[in-house]
Amino acid sequence: MKRLLALLLTLAVALGGAAPAFAETTLEKIERTGTLTIGTRTGSPPFGFVNKQNEWVGFSIDLVEQAIKPAIERKVGKSIKVEKKESTPATRIPLLTSNAVDLIAETMTDTRARRESVDFSLTFFVTGAQFLVNKRAPIKGIESIAGKRIAAQQGSTNARILRERVPTAQLREFPDQPAAFQALAQGQVDAYTNDGIQLAGLKAKAPNPGDWVIVGDFYSYEPYGMAMRKNESDFRHLVNVGLMEAIEAGKYFEIYEKWFGPKGEVPYPLTAENKRFMIMQVVPK
Amino acid sequence: MRYEFNWSVLWSGQSGSWLLQGLLTTLEISALAWLLAAALGILSGALRTVPWPPLRAAAAFYVEFFRNVPLLVWMFFWYFGVPPLLPGAVQDWLFNHGAEFWAGMFALGVYHGARMSEVIRSGIQSIPRTQFEASQAIGLSVWQAYRLVILPIAIRLIVPPATNESLNLLKNSSVALTISVAELTFQTRQIETYTARAIEALTAGTLIYLVLCVSIAAVMTRLERRFAIPGLIARVGAG
Amino acid sequence: MAEPAIAFRLVNKFFGRLHVLKDIDLTVAPGEVVVVCGPSGSGKSTLIRCVNALERVQSGEIVVLGESVTSAGANLTRLRTQVGMVFQSFNLFPHMTALQNIMLAPLKVRRLARAEVEKTARALLERVGIPDKADNYPANLSGGQQQRVAIARALAMHPKIMLFDEPTSALDPEMINEVLEVMTDLARDGMTMMVVTHEMGFARRVARRIVFMDGGVVVEEAAPEAFFASPTSDRARQFLSKILSH
Repeated sequence: MKRLLALLLTLAVALGGAAPAFAETTLEKIERTGTLTIGTRTGSPPFGFVNKQNEWVGFSIDLVEQAIKPAIERKVGKSIKVEKKESTPATRIPLLTSNAVDLIAETMTDTRARRESVDFSLTFFVTGAQFLVNKRAPIKGIESIAGKRIAAQQGSTNARILRERVPTAQLREFPDQPAAFQALAQGQVDAYTNDGIQLAGLKAKAPNPGDWVIVGDFYSYEPYGMAMRKNESDFRHLVNVGLMEAIEAGKYFEIYEKWFGPKGEVPYPLTAENKRFMIMQVVPK
Repeated sequence: MRYEFNWSVLWSGQSGSWLLQGLLTTLEISALAWLLAAALGILSGALRTVPWPPLRAAAAFYVEFFRNVPLLVWMFFWYFGVPPLLPGAVQDWLFNHGAEFWAGMFALGVYHGARMSEVIRSGIQSIPRTQFEASQAIGLSVWQAYRLVILPIAIRLIVPPATNESLNLLKNSSVALTISVAELTFQTRQIETYTARAIEALTAGTLIYLVLCVSIAAVMTRLERRFAIPGLIARVGAG
Repeated sequence: MAEPAIAFRLVNKFFGRLHVLKDIDLTVAPGEVVVVCGPSGSGKSTLIRCVNALERVQSGEIVVLGESVTSAGANLTRLRTQVGMVFQSFNLFPHMTALQNIMLAPLKVRRLARAEVEKTARALLERVGIPDKADNYPANLSGGQQQRVAIARALAMHPKIMLFDEPTSALDPEMINEVLEVMTDLARDGMTMMVVTHEMGFARRVARRIVFMDGGVVVEEAAPEAFFASPTSDRARQFLSKILSH
């Protein structure tokens, strides 16, 4: 039995690629390869998605390329390129721990539980969970979902909160957004819950955006951060410096406007409160 | 950096009960789907060998149609495609009573029924034609010949490939998580979400699948020996 | 003469383009034992397989026990309960014991009571000389024993006609006689029989008539004494010289 366990452990380690014998820091790796590899989404507009011109773009990607990349380049003293790989809620932590990517830049909520496995950058976006419902539906927010069928994203914090706060709601968890929306459109579920910004993106893409409304106060606090391997404070510091400089110089707000402004992919105006929060994250030089 | 294992996440908090729920759902959906697959497989596999061409063609159509479309597509078909065809009240009842489970069960059962069909057919075709003639000659109808002679022999012959197919069905039941069935793989992901411990959760799931598959294979081997036909299949440990 | 048990009237049969039975006209009287012989490929097996409709014919008519077998609405189940058949390769059901093989049709086709069926089945095993093999599976019986179980299985439905399709061809020489003895007993009891066989000794002793076939045609029909002493056709003469020379 002991031997079996040892074997399985070895297998798990090998599969995870989790323990390179001669560890190289992320910064050393970037310096050696000249590449920063990020994990991002292909179907989460406007954070990371493939647009109509078939380009892989988005808010999170722009932040990496225009805020973080310059900071790293300054440090290593040469230009680097950004390589993108697809990540999903289920794969993002394994992608990091297996060294397949160096940075997760998508729609990942910073949580204390996740901080036990990975480190997070500053918060680069703030949202909270709400509900997308048909405009005729009676659901008005978390207070009116008891007994209702609610779709949620598998592996999201929203499902977890709902399960704890409204145990009578019938949760249906889908691995991807299109399936969840299909279930909503066909009436399999009464509402789809996700971060407000995700719902805004989904609504904007829907065939008849006017049929759908986003309802309810934020019932969760979802600060999005960029995730990286634990205990790499040099690298994390650079990521944060890049973000802080972008906020300070106004670059962050330009990028925000590009994606979330009235003409952006998903209109989602920056509230005064959130703008102040972003600025206050910037510590003095 | 070295990954630090923390196996306690598997029994702390709700993880244990989630794994158990997931295991039960996996067993439940697989068992029901297996019954459906066995029934459809035996029926269509037998029909593919009967002396009436229209029935043979219908069975062949079922097999080719269902086994050549990916299981994932069938999951979506039964979950998203079929309910709109039902009356509103039935739909609503279904949606409140595990529509995803039934859709997943049908998708698995019908898909694997088509694959099982091929196993049964090859079993039947390995039986000499003269067995069928002998059945006819003593006055059995075609239905009786299949029920009393052909299928009892064929089913004993196909235990090994059928076991294989059954294990595939069990493993494929994890595809049902795409339509929100909270089975074993779903729950291991859930644990991962809550604890951010991917490798531990994955290892637990893998181990459970492994134990399930090995036990099923062992039971089938015993059944095979127990019901072996003397002279047709070597009975291990006997004359 | 009474109505024939079996009558072939201008029967033609094809396997694809192959013309295997050509204008067969033949009758078998009740209680008569007819041996059909001929070189391989002559159509003799096909001929008797037509009697219980294991083979369908393309033209002509076959009447068995007063009923047409070849008409569209023929009741094949009833026909087959009245016509027993024994095959060259025994064709016992391997997943059933000897007794179960014999009991199957009376239980499932005639739906008789189990106790009664079992009694009959044991009596039949007694009659074919292997009462102690009731619980053996076919794989644990010798070829001769298997063929005797197969005969008992056919007799279990109380048929009025028995068809034998080369019943001893697959047997080792030392087992041939035990099967022929059972067949001889049956003939003595007045069973109507059509037998395809190369056992000319059996034919000489038991048959009332020999039918010689070649190339899908009945070439010669004669009583055994006449057939063996002075066959009228060249083909029968050639056949006999080959088969009797060893």
